[in-house]
Amino acid sequence: MRPLLLVVGSITGRLMRRGRSLAMFFLTASLAPLIFLIGLGRSGEFAAEMYNNITSSLGMGILYPVAALVVSTAALGEERKAHTLPFLLLKPVARPVIALGALIAAAISSFVVLEAGVLVTWLVAGAMTGEWSIGIATTAGVAVQSVASAALFVPLGLLLNRATLVGLGYLFLWEGILAALISGIQASSVYRIVLSAWADLAAMTPDTYDVVDEALGRVAIGAGGAVAKVMVMALVSVFLTGIVLRRRDLVGE
Amino acid sequence: MTGAEWTTDALHVGEPTVVASQLSKWFGPKVAVSEVDCSFGPGVTGLLGPNGAGKTTFLRVVAGLLSPSSGEVTILGRTPRKKHAVHREVGFVPEDEAVYGHMTARRFIHWSAAMSRVDGPAEAARRALETVHLTKDADRALATFSKGMRQRAKVAAALVHDPTVLLLDEPLNGTDPLQRARLIDLFLNLGQEGRTIIVSSHVLAEVERMAGRVVAMVDGRVAAAGSVPALRDAMSDKPRLIRIETDRPRPLAKRLLGGDWVEAVKVGPESVEIRTTDSRALGHDLAVAARESGARITAVSPEDESLDSVFRYLVDLR
Repeated sequence: MRPLLLVVGSITGRLMRRGRSLAMFFLTASLAPLIFLIGLGRSGEFAAEMYNNITSSLGMGILYPVAALVVSTAALGEERKAHTLPFLLLKPVARPVIALGALIAAAISSFVVLEAGVLVTWLVAGAMTGEWSIGIATTAGVAVQSVASAALFVPLGLLLNRATLVGLGYLFLWEGILAALISGIQASSVYRIVLSAWADLAAMTPDTYDVVDEALGRVAIGAGGAVAKVMVMALVSVFLTGIVLRRRDLVGE
Repeated sequence: MTGAEWTTDALHVGEPTVVASQLSKWFGPKVAVSEVDCSFGPGVTGLLGPNGAGKTTFLRVVAGLLSPSSGEVTILGRTPRKKHAVHREVGFVPEDEAVYGHMTARRFIHWSAAMSRVDGPAEAARRALETVHLTKDADRALATFSKGMRQRAKVAAALVHDPTVLLLDEPLNGTDPLQRARLIDLFLNLGQEGRTIIVSSHVLAEVERMAGRVVAMVDGRVAAAGSVPALRDAMSDKPRLIRIETDRPRPLAKRLLGGDWVEAVKVGPESVEIRTTDSRALGHDLAVAARESGARITAVSPEDESLDSVFRYLVDLR
C-alpha cells in the first residue's frame, strides 16, 4: 500500500505544480463569464437552463475532456520526457502498482483542476439562480470524466511523444464525429458515458432533456452504469500500462 | 603487467555479482552494445570509453531500464528486467541531469528510501544527505540546485537503501573539484566495504583515481579490461604528440632531439611539438632539458590524447 501512495503522491505533486494546471483551470472556468453574460438580467429559470445546456455541451463535450486529456497524458508521459522515469522504475515496486498509482494521480489531478473550474461556474450559476445544488451533477460528471480520461490517456502519454495531439484527434474524430454518426459505437464514447452520469443527477427542463437524450443516442441515463463502465476502463488501463512498463524500453540509448 | 596483458582475459572476476553474457542491444539498425561478455565483483570498476561507446546503454541494460536485444544480464543471480525485487540491492545514478525539481532534496531522498522499503526512511535520508554533504541545502527544492548538487542528490538517492550494487553513469559530471574528490573518496570507501560499483566515465584521470579495474568500451564492444597500471602501460607504447609551450623553443628542441625516444620535432614561435614513443621518458628528461637549454616551460599538453584515439589504439593492440 505504501509504494502505491508514494507513486500517487510524487506524480500528483508534479502534475499539480505546473503552470499547466493553472491554464487548465482557466480553460474550465471560462464557462463562468459565459453563463454570467448570457444569463444577466434574465430569470433564474433561464439561467439554470443556460447553465445546464452550456455545461452539458461545451463543458462536457469539449472543455472538460480537453483539460483532463492534457493532465492525464502528462502523468507518465512527462516522467518519460523529463528523464525521471528511472527513479520510478528502478525501485522494488511491481509495475501494476506504478500503473495504478499513475492512474489515480492523473484522476485526482484532473478532478482537482476540473472541479476548480466547475466551482467557479457553480458559484456564478448559484448566485444567478438561487439554486445552490445546481453544480452537484457537474461535479459527478467531472469525477467520471477524470477517471475515464486517466484510463485512456495515461498509457497513451507513456507510449507516444505527441499523445496530447493524438488525444485531441481522438476527441474530435471519435467522440465528436464518429460516435454521433454511428450509433453502434456510442456505448464506448466517454462523452456519452459522462453525460449519462450527469443527466442522472441534473434537474433538467424538457428542452434540455431532449438535447441530452439526442446526444446520448443509445446510451441510457444512469450514474451507476457510468461508474461501472469507467471502473472497467480503469482496470483494463492499469493492466495495459503495467504491460507497457514491463515490456517496452521507455528510455533511449 | 605489460600492455599485452591489457586484454579481454581480464573480463571476468572470481565472485561476480553482475554478469553480462553475450549482451547486445540495438536500436533499429544501430548497434549500441555488441556481444559484451564480462562480469563485475566487489570493488570499483571503471567503465571507460569515449562518448558514444555504449557505456550508458550498457548500464541501462544492466539496471533493467532497457531490455537486451540478445544475451542476458544478471545481478546477484537475478534478471533485473523481470525480478524487480532485485532493485532493493541496486542503486543507480542516471547520466541525465533530471530530478524531481518540485521536491526538496530531503523529500526526494526520503521518497527514494520509502519506495525501496527502507525501515526509518527519514533517518536513512538524513544519513545519505550527510554522506554527500548536502545537509545544509536539504530543504531547498531540487529545481534550485546546481548541476553538481543535483548529481550529489542523485548519488544520495542511490545510496539511501544501502545497496550491494551501485551503477553510476558519469556521476562526477558537473561537480567542482572538492565535490569530485569527496565523491571519489566515497566510491572508494563503498568499494572497500565490499559493494560492487560500476562507474562510467570518459575521463581517464577520474577513473584512474577511483577504480582498481577498468573495462574499456569502444563502438559498443568491450575493447579490453584490466588494471589501471596495465592500461597505462598499454598506452605508453603508443607514439604520442606532446606540445610544450616555452620562451626558447629552438634550444629546447635541439636539446630534446638527443633522446632516442624522440621521433620528430616541430618548432613554433613559442612552442615545440614532439612526437615521442615514450612519454614517460620525455617527462623525466624535460625538466633537465629545460634547465640545460635555459628555457622556461609554461605548459605541457598532449595533443592526441583524446580517449577515442587511445581506445582505438587499444583495440588495435588486441
